[in-house]
This record gives sequence, C-alpha cells and structure tokens, in this order.
Amino acid sequence: MTGEDTPRYTAPADLDGVVAALEGADEGTVLVGGGTMVVPAMTHGHVVPSALVDLGRAGLTGIREEDGATVVGAMTDYASLLAADTDRGPGHPLRLLARAAAGITGGPQIRNRGTLGGSASYANPASDVPGCLVALGARLRLASARGVREVPAQEFFLGAFRTARRPDEVLAELVLPHGDALAWGYVKFKLAESSWPVVTSAAAVLAGGGLRVALGAAADRPVALDVPAPHRGTADPAWRALVADGAARALADRGAAFVDDVLADAHYRAAVTPVIVARAVEGALRGADRQERGRA
Amino acid sequence: MSATATDRGTGRIGQAARKRDGALLLTGGARYIDDVRPPGTLYAAVVRSTVANARIRRVHAGEAEALPGTVLVLTGERARDLAAPTPYFIDPLVRGARRVDIRCLEPDRVVFVGQPVAAVVADTREGAQRAARLVRVDYDVLPHVLDAERALEPDAPRVYAEWPDNVVLSKSYGTGDPDGALESADVVVEGTFRSGRTTTAPIEPRGFLAHWDEHAQTLTMHGSCQNPHQLRWMLSATLGIPENRIRVVTEKVGGSFGLKMQGQPEETLVALLSMLAGAPVKWIEDRRESFLAGSRQQVHRFTVGARSDGRIVALVDRIVADAGAMTAQAGWAMPNMSATTLPSGYRVPDCRIDLSIVATNKPPLSAARGFGKDSAHLVMERAVDLVARRLGLDPAVVRERNFIRSDEFPYRTSTGLNIDSGDFHGLLDKATTSLGYRRWRERQREARASGEHIGLGLALELTPESSDSPGSFVSGFDTTTVRMSVTGSVTVLTGVTSPGGGNDTGIAQIVATELGVPLEWVRVVQGDTDRCPNGFGNFSGRSMVVGGGSAALAARDVRRTLALVGARMLGVPDAEVRDGAVVDPAGAGAVPVPEVALAVLTRSFDVASGVEPILESTRAYKPGNIDHRPDAHGRIQPYPTYSSCVHAAAVRVDAETGRVEIADYAMAHDCGTMINPALVEGQAWGAVVMGLGAALSEQLVFGEDGATLSDRFKSYLMPRAADVPEIRMEHQVTPSPYTMHGNKGAGEAGVGGAQAAIANAVEDALSPFGVVVDRVPLTPPAVLELIRRAAQEVAP
Amino acid sequence: MNRIRLNVNGEDREVEVDPRRLLVHAVREEVGLTGTHVGCLTGDCGACTVLVDDRSVKSCSVLAVSADGARLRTIEDLGTEDDLDPVQRAFLEEFAFQCGYCLPGMLLTVRELLDRDPDPGEEDIVQAVSGNLCRCTGYGPILRAVRSAVRATREADRP
Repeated sequence: MTGEDTPRYTAPADLDGVVAALEGADEGTVLVGGGTMVVPAMTHGHVVPSALVDLGRAGLTGIREEDGATVVGAMTDYASLLAADTDRGPGHPLRLLARAAAGITGGPQIRNRGTLGGSASYANPASDVPGCLVALGARLRLASARGVREVPAQEFFLGAFRTARRPDEVLAELVLPHGDALAWGYVKFKLAESSWPVVTSAAAVLAGGGLRVALGAAADRPVALDVPAPHRGTADPAWRALVADGAARALADRGAAFVDDVLADAHYRAAVTPVIVARAVEGALRGADRQERGRA
Repeated sequence: MSATATDRGTGRIGQAARKRDGALLLTGGARYIDDVRPPGTLYAAVVRSTVANARIRRVHAGEAEALPGTVLVLTGERARDLAAPTPYFIDPLVRGARRVDIRCLEPDRVVFVGQPVAAVVADTREGAQRAARLVRVDYDVLPHVLDAERALEPDAPRVYAEWPDNVVLSKSYGTGDPDGALESADVVVEGTFRSGRTTTAPIEPRGFLAHWDEHAQTLTMHGSCQNPHQLRWMLSATLGIPENRIRVVTEKVGGSFGLKMQGQPEETLVALLSMLAGAPVKWIEDRRESFLAGSRQQVHRFTVGARSDGRIVALVDRIVADAGAMTAQAGWAMPNMSATTLPSGYRVPDCRIDLSIVATNKPPLSAARGFGKDSAHLVMERAVDLVARRLGLDPAVVRERNFIRSDEFPYRTSTGLNIDSGDFHGLLDKATTSLGYRRWRERQREARASGEHIGLGLALELTPESSDSPGSFVSGFDTTTVRMSVTGSVTVLTGVTSPGGGNDTGIAQIVATELGVPLEWVRVVQGDTDRCPNGFGNFSGRSMVVGGGSAALAARDVRRTLALVGARMLGVPDAEVRDGAVVDPAGAGAVPVPEVALAVLTRSFDVASGVEPILESTRAYKPGNIDHRPDAHGRIQPYPTYSSCVHAAAVRVDAETGRVEIADYAMAHDCGTMINPALVEGQAWGAVVMGLGAALSEQLVFGEDGATLSDRFKSYLMPRAADVPEIRMEHQVTPSPYTMHGNKGAGEAGVGGAQAAIANAVEDALSPFGVVVDRVPLTPPAVLELIRRAAQEVAP
Repeated sequence: MNRIRLNVNGEDREVEVDPRRLLVHAVREEVGLTGTHVGCLTGDCGACTVLVDDRSVKSCSVLAVSADGARLRTIEDLGTEDDLDPVQRAFLEEFAFQCGYCLPGMLLTVRELLDRDPDPGEEDIVQAVSGNLCRCTGYGPILRAVRSAVRATREADRP
C-alpha cells in the first residue's frame, strides 16, 4: 500500500446515500464538492484519497427560509448566492454572502463551481467564507449515520484547514439566522487581483446601534470582534486603536495570532486590520444610513 | 506619416496585417507541445531536490519502481554514465567567469531546492507524478546561503565547494574619471535599489517530447523552445549522437519570454529517457517547476553627481546580482547587460560600474525578457529622479537636460555601446503629452490638499537589441530561404522562431513586399532543423531584424529572376514585380507571376535560357554596427540597434494599506520602422504589463530552507485585467541606419521602464512622507514599510 | 476505472477514466480535443476553461467522473476558421492574442458572459476575464475585443 492506489469513487444520489457512503470513513475519505480546492490539492499530491465521495449528485443545493433563518444547502455555488441576492434588505445574511461571492478570486468559472459548504469545509484561512459565517453567527449542520448536529461557526473552524467535521460527517446545510443586522459592510483586502485575501472584514450595524465585526484571513481561523461605535468617525485614531486592541484580544482568546505567509507578515496584517475593519464598518454604516433615509 | 496600429492593410511592410495563424489559434486547432502524442507515448516526471545544499548519499527508487505503470527510474549516478555535461549557451570561461559542470540529473550534490536528482517514466502522466513522489533521497545536508550580499562575506557557506568564494564574475565597466567628476559636482546623491526576483511565467510551461528510433538511430525532439538549432547541437554534445541524426521540431509556443531558450537540464534528460525506454517520452513542466526560473534579482548601490542645473556628470554603481545556482542556459549572463546598459540614453561620460555576479543556493536565473537591461533603467531612472528632487527641479526637465540629443548619434556610451539613433526628447514630449502630465500635476496638488496621494513617474528605457556575443550561439545574424514553386506559391524557411509574438506574420509581410506578391501566397516555416536553414531562433528582439533582413535578401534574389524572365516574356528590356504580376514599367503589359514561375522551371531552354532555373535563395543577413574588436578601453559593441521608449505613469497610493493603483499610463515607443505596427504595439503593451507586475506584485518568495513558497498564481501575483490600466501607446519612428528596413528590435522594451516609472511615481506620491523608494516590487507591505521607515527617520 | 458519458459539442462520448483523472485531461486525451489547454492545474490561469451545462468552469479543477452525464462545450465548437464566432472575430480584429495559449479559455469565458448578458458594462467585462491570465497582451487589446464583440452582437441583433 503506497497511498497512491486508485481510490473508490461514489456519487450518491441524495444525502442518505452520502451518509451511508461515509459510514466508518477515515481521514482518507475525501468529499468532493465543487472541486475547486480539493481537486488541485489531489493533483499535486497534497491530498491523497483512499475513497472519493462526490456530492455533486446529492442535491444539497438551494436556499430556503426556516424559522427566522435562511438555510443554504452546502453545495450551493457562489453564482447561485449572487443570483439569490435580489430584493433583500441590506441586513439580510445573503447580502453579506453575495458581497463576498462577488469578489471571489478566480473569475466566473470559480463562482460557477465553488460552493459555500466546500469553502467552509476546506477552511482555508485565506478565504472569504469562514469569516463571513462567523460574522453571521451561522450554524453548520453536519449529517452522519449518528444523526444531525449543528455546530456554531465560531466552534467549527479550528485552525488552518481544520474543522470540527468528523470524517464520517458531511456538511449538509448552513443555517444563517436573521439577526438584528440592519446593514452589512464587507471588505476583502488583497495585494492584487490574483492574491489570496490578506485580511477580510465583515461588519454589521445592529438594530440597537451596536456593531458586529468579524475578521478573516488575518489568522489561521476567523474571529469575531468587539468594536465600539465610531462616534468620531472611523478615521479617529483612538477608535482605530480600540479596534486594534479588540482584534488582538479576540485572536488571543481563540489562541490564534496574525499569520506570516508568503504574501504578508504578521506585522503587516496587524497594521492593516484596523484599516480594513474601519472600511467595512463605514460600508455598513452607509448601508444603514441609506436604509434609514429610505424609510424616512 | 507612419502607419498606425489602426491602419488595416493587405500585408505590405508597415501595415497591420492580422496574425497569420490567427484563425487556427482562435479555433483551438493550433498544435502545442502537449498536443503531440504519438502512439505509445510514455510520460516523465522529475524528482527534485528538497534541500538547498547537500551531498546526495543515496536514491531509493524501489517503491517508485514497484508502482504499477512505472517503466523506469533514472538516477543521477546512472545518467552521469550516459550523458555528458550540458554545454553552456554562453560559456562562462569566454566571459572570464567561473563555471561548473551542469548535468541533466545531479549525481553527487544539489545546490538548490528543485534541482533534478532523478526521473521517472511511466505509462501515464499521473502515474509518473505519483511514482516521482515515491522516490526518496538521503542527503548529507550542508549549510546554504540564499542572499547574494551575505554570499559575498568570507565566512558565507560555499555554493560550489571547489570555488574559492561565491563569485561567478567580477568585472568593471565604464570610462572617464567618475571620482574626479563626483568631487567637482555641485550635488552628489547616493542611493540603493533592490529588484525582486521575478519569473517569466508564460501560460504554457516548458515541455518536450523525445523519440529515439532505435532502428533508424535517429532522435526526434519536439519542444516548446526558442532555439531549435542550438538544442540540436546541445543534444549531440550531451548524448554523443551526430547532429545529422537529430531533428528538433518546435511546436506552436505558448509564450516564452526567454524561459524556453535552450540549456535546461530537462532537454537532455527527456531525450535520454526516450533512449532508455525505447519509446516516445513526453515531459510537461508543472507550474510549480516553472516557478523555479528566476528572471532577475540585484542590489545596486549608486552615487550620482550633478551640476546645479541638473546636468549629470558622473555615475558610480556597484551591482550585486544574485544568479542563484549556475545554469547552462543563458540566464546567468544577464547581469552583464545591466552593467553595460548603464548609463542608458543619458550623456554621462564618466562612469564606473562594478559588477559582481554571485552564486547562491537559489534556483538559477533563466533568460528573461529584458535580459538584464531592464535593471539598468531602475538605477538610472532613480538616479535622475533623486537629482531632480535634490535640486527641486521637475524630473521631466532633468531628463531633457541629460538626454543624448538626436544630432549626436551614433553615440558611444561610457560602457561602450554605440547607440545607433533615436529622439529621446521627442519621446518624452509624446509620453508626457499623452498622459496629460501637466494636468496630472494639478490633480496631484489638489489631491494632496484632501489627503490623497497621487504621484507621477517618468522613465526612459533604452533597449539594445539583436545582440551578438562573440564565440557563443547568441548570434547577430540569421538565415532564411525563400522558395517559389511552379505555381507561384512561396515557402519561407527561416532560422528564427516565434514564441507567439507574430514574427512569422512580419517576415511574410517582408517577403510579400520584397517579392511583389500578395501576402496570401506566402507561407512561413519555422523551428524545424530538418527543413529550415541553420539559424539561432528567437532572443534579443532579433527576429524581425535578422530574420526579416535575410528573408528580404533571399526574396530579392527570386524577384530578380522573375523580373528577368518576365521581361523576356513581355518582350521589354526591364520589368518589375508588383501585386503578383511581372509588369512593364512603361505599361505595355503584364504577366502573372505563376506563369513566369512556370516558365522559369519548365522552359529553361527557351524563354529562360541562360538563367539558372531556380526560384530559391538562401541568404544570411548581418546588420551593421556590431563590432567585436575591443577598443582602447577594451570595450566591444555587441548590438546593431537600440530601441527606446519613454514611460509616464500616474499612480494613487493608499497610504493606509500601501496599495498602489495605476491611475493612468502612457508609453511613447520607438523601434524604428515598424514592419507591422499592431504586432509591435502588442509586444510593447505586453512588456509594459510584465514590468508593472514586477513593479508592484510579482515576487518569488523563498523559505529559510530555500524552497520556493510562491508556487502558484495566488501567491506569485501576475497582473490580471483588473490590475492594469489601458495603456496610451504612442509611436515615434527613428529608423536605424544599420538594418535593412530601418527597424530595431521590439519586444523587450517595457519591462524595465515600467518598473522604473512606477518606482518614481510611488516616491513622488509619497513625497509628503519623505519616502525614498529603494526597491521593487512595491507590494502593499513594502510600501507601508517605506512609509514607516521614513516616519522614523523624520522623527527619530 | 470508471466509465462515464459525456456529450461533447453535441456528440455523445463514452470514456473510461481513473476517478482521479481531471476533466481537462479527459477532454484532451480520452476525447481527443486539444484546444483546451493546461496552464497551472491549480484553477488559477483559466486556460482550461470549458462550458459544462452552459456554465464556464476550469476543467483542471473538476474530476472527469464528476462530469458524467454533462454537456460540454469546448473551443472546437465555437466557430470554424471559415465561420468564426463574433467573439473570435473580434479577438482577431483587435489583435487580442499573441501566443494563443490562453485564448480558448478566454474566448469561452467571454462567450458565456455575452450569452448571459449581451450588453455588459465595463466592470462586468473586466470581472468576467479576471479569472483568465494572459502574459502576452497586457489585457488592453482583450478588453477592446470584448467591447467590439458586444457592439457587433448589438448590431447583429438590430432589426
């Protein structure tokens, strides 16, 4: 056994089939969603599957409403998220996901193929979805022969390419609660059009006037931040310092740190984090303001 | 008035004929190397070193050999017995440099991460790659050095243990008394500049398909390569096969930019694997392998002296160029041209350029568009801007005061280049007008008031082209056959090759024009050593100068025969060939060229009697201005033509993140006569954007262990459509007196000038912070670091 | 090995592939259509773009088995040398390619854009081609060509 033997391939026709295919699965069992991340990883030998379970025929797509939440099938692709973002308020969870989907690196081909569940399950720190899910307070619905469990996004992402999903589980749906967000702002900062994101920030203005902010790509897992309202504007150095402290604390609480990688070092990420958060907050404030004026 | 890119013509010289292979490329019908798949083709994969400096203890091939589908595993030890070292494209000994033997697989030691140490042949490409992953190598790891300046220190680890130090070549260039001139200068400015390590990254990686025919004892090598004849010579030298039993065929090349010049280890390797496997063997480079090839990386410490009116009087530059490991390809020699291209198109008689090319434990340099000339402009253009800033003069004014004037050509520079012609003042005027330089200056002032950072940058780029390097296969001439058949159809067989830019179209235009026939009659064949005359392929912007020149000479020979026999058929003393007919200039009649061709080849004993019955000619063309006899200062002159351009850039810098946006960009370009203006423009546009990538985002990044970390397009950041502006392109035509059609090399100009213009523009934008730009790429982290450092210097 | 069915450019094909076989390699080697190119195998460069059930995808990031039963359109179906698609014609007229290696992927991406939206805005055009790398042209001529194809389509649609 070299680890290079031909893997067993199944493409179950529904979720029950996927669950059955995963029964007793180990780390060598690889789930294939849109394939945009895992297939290149297989090509280059980073992922060597003993079994392949293809989710492409199992349904798992679609967007529906359920008890004050929007539920998105894990195999829903970015293009569908974009298409679904019509006639929704600026505080709707799909608005944030559509903003993120619009900026996915790699062009329409990746938006046609990459999926929300795939990106969550792959848990690449340098990607949009994990940070957005944390910002949304999303719950990830994992199915296995043992039943279905829901994991909050904060607990789902354990580190770079590591999640709470067990080898015999499949991420079936993502539950996006309709919270108290009035408007979302989202900023993805990349070094150039080609690059992985260096820092992303999703920000919501909440009904009570507070802010909810999440930070992605800055560390090996996304974090939520406590950010006070910028009474003197988002350029206020004192407010920015509070954001920087909040980010440092949030990372420390999760046992994470700004990452050094091929694109940028930790100092740079720390330095631009308050800037990117400020811009996301500005976007959210503008959205809330527009909505306010629209109502008036 | 010269033709412009928007003119549409029938395909004579100067017209924008569309690419002749266009329809084939558009419909997916073109054949690239990976499309060649004869029956029984096997696939190769290369096992590469995972350590930066080590002795190879043992190669374990057993697991790979046991994998079903594996045909063979070749180790360096066995390859040493079967193949000789690769001869250098530019021999270091001829240049006074150090050399080492370069083998297709290293048997004893490795000196960079990624060096080939073994190879696998299997029945599928995936199978070969899987088997390659199973080959394990035991190393005795040695200390390594990745930084060229560190490598110069006496206690630095040695890349090649048998060398006394890590210096490949140490040499000084320049004439005059720069130290004296600096003494007497009104201002003296010092600067440092570092260029990042970039790579050419054509979208098609390298690839070869070798087929050794045991029965016929012949080797056929299909490749994505620029230099088929040199490759044939090299394979003959490494494998001991007579050259006339080797055929090299260049398929359609999916971009190259220097990467596919001959001299890489995989060339011999793939041929050897085919001989061992007894079957066709194909190797297609993986993108991660392609990212090993470095294009440039230099540190310049320079001093420039000027008078108070901005006239530059002296330049001293100390260059440390990081060659990485040695290569048999031309790449190692590029930094020479960085030194000799200084001081560019400026009148600076007193110069001293000290060059050290240094080996490190990084992957080698591979020839790259710009070929070192690009880096000269970074330094020179920074020096001009620093002088302007010190004197409080506009950078445009300082350039005007220092450009070589158009009445001074030919002009011999301090480093020895004999610039044929140009009008740099004209280019500056065109570029600044096109950009709206003055309007942008106003916008810059307004923006500053509102806390926005706009900057303007200028750069002259002088591009020596079509080089000839004595005693090497960097040849300043080439050879073409023009052959007309009995039906009048024309086949052109030329020694130059096309990596995609379209010189085949340009050469067809020259032949059609010189021969007096429609473009549609002409077919150009390139890149086949069994069909084309001996030649040197594609590099140094040479293809239209020497391919075009030799094609014109050969076409004229054929035309003379057509005119002679045609005149007899018309019964007139003299005739001309025009639009596919031999015509009486007095208007008394015309006879179609095919009829004349038929007469030459079938009636050679009546109407064509006394005429050698051949409608074919093979001619070589040597342009003027090249002189390899050293002058009193020991300088040689390797280039016939010098293209030139001026870049003008406007940038916006986000001082909070360091991100630079190119707001506007203009380039005024002069490559003399343009055979096909649209193709020239395409080349220039592509070169500028390659330069913009090097200026802002492209950078090979290495881990401390020497591994290339930027190993895909999400970490090696090549420009995408959203990153770059549409370039305002202006043309100026200053014909070269030394080439047949007055054309100069095109294709390289852009890479260096764009980097320089952006560096200058970013510094200009950030002048309120007191930033001095000392590097490219100016990635957002780099820019933020420059701002932070400037702030520290202002407030210590 | 897995046996899969593909409808490629209107023709039904059955091929046998290892489950790890990439769609791009199946198209190029099992189906034998080599106009689809391989540039990076990481889903970054876009040279391998094909249309799967009318949507552009990077075929290096799709397993061939995943495409079982799908309808594929490759560059070989876009137009012929004598009868170019308006997008191909615009690329030829505007000198929007040099070496041609990225070209099939670029053309199919633009074709999908125009099929979805015959009158895209400037930002849509730039975004649409942002998944395709070109090292030769510097993109300007490509954007010019897309605009020209949009104009040509508009004029052709005019009654």
